[in-house]
Amino acid sequence: MQIFFLVIMAALIMTIGLMLQRLFQGPTIFDRMNGLGVITADTILLIVLFGFLDKQPGMYVDLAMAYAMMGCLGSVVLAKYLGGKKL
Amino acid sequence: MIFGFNGQEIIACLLMGAGLVFLIGSMVGMLRLPDYYSRVHASGNSETLGTLLVFLGLMVFNGFSNVSAKIFIIAVFVFLGNPIGSHILAKAAYKTGHPVWTKKQAVQHELSTEPTSSIATAEEKEAQANADLHG
Repeated sequence: MQIFFLVIMAALIMTIGLMLQRLFQGPTIFDRMNGLGVITADTILLIVLFGFLDKQPGMYVDLAMAYAMMGCLGSVVLAKYLGGKKL
Repeated sequence: MIFGFNGQEIIACLLMGAGLVFLIGSMVGMLRLPDYYSRVHASGNSETLGTLLVFLGLMVFNGFSNVSAKIFIIAVFVFLGNPIGSHILAKAAYKTGHPVWTKKQAVQHELSTEPTSSIATAEEKEAQANADLHG
């Protein structure tokens, strides 16, 4: 079961690396925001999986919950800023 | 007992494997699709479903406990936050006049990247076909 967690964590780290490429060379500001949202969602999953790999998930789940609350609000606030009065 | 796993772990493995397929599909879509709107489609739908499936697999693996309740709360946050963020970003892009990718642009892009320009464009071919049709 540990090797299965390791496979998913490897795929998530590869996704985060490729989303950094989208974050730096994205043609518009909206592409950069989209890549940042994907990195946030993957990082939450990565923290929880690392807790299960460490065999004490109780601590890491709290960290992931705080990070999920931040990521839930951040993209909405920045989109309201980018969209202007019309949104 | 298959490969030393009991039934609970097998169900958890199946759910997390399905989530992994959706996560990798979302990654490929984010890298290869041509437009902002199609990319936000890839990240908004597949990313959410893959994350929720992996969280469900972790809940099945952990059993009925305190940690599973916290993972359920995180799953609710992701399920609310990720689609709302994608939707409101796409709405902001559309309201501020971000250009929409069309098929005409795709044809022009393919023709501009070809080394030889001896092939007629799609509009010329269509005009030729109309001339043949209508005499």
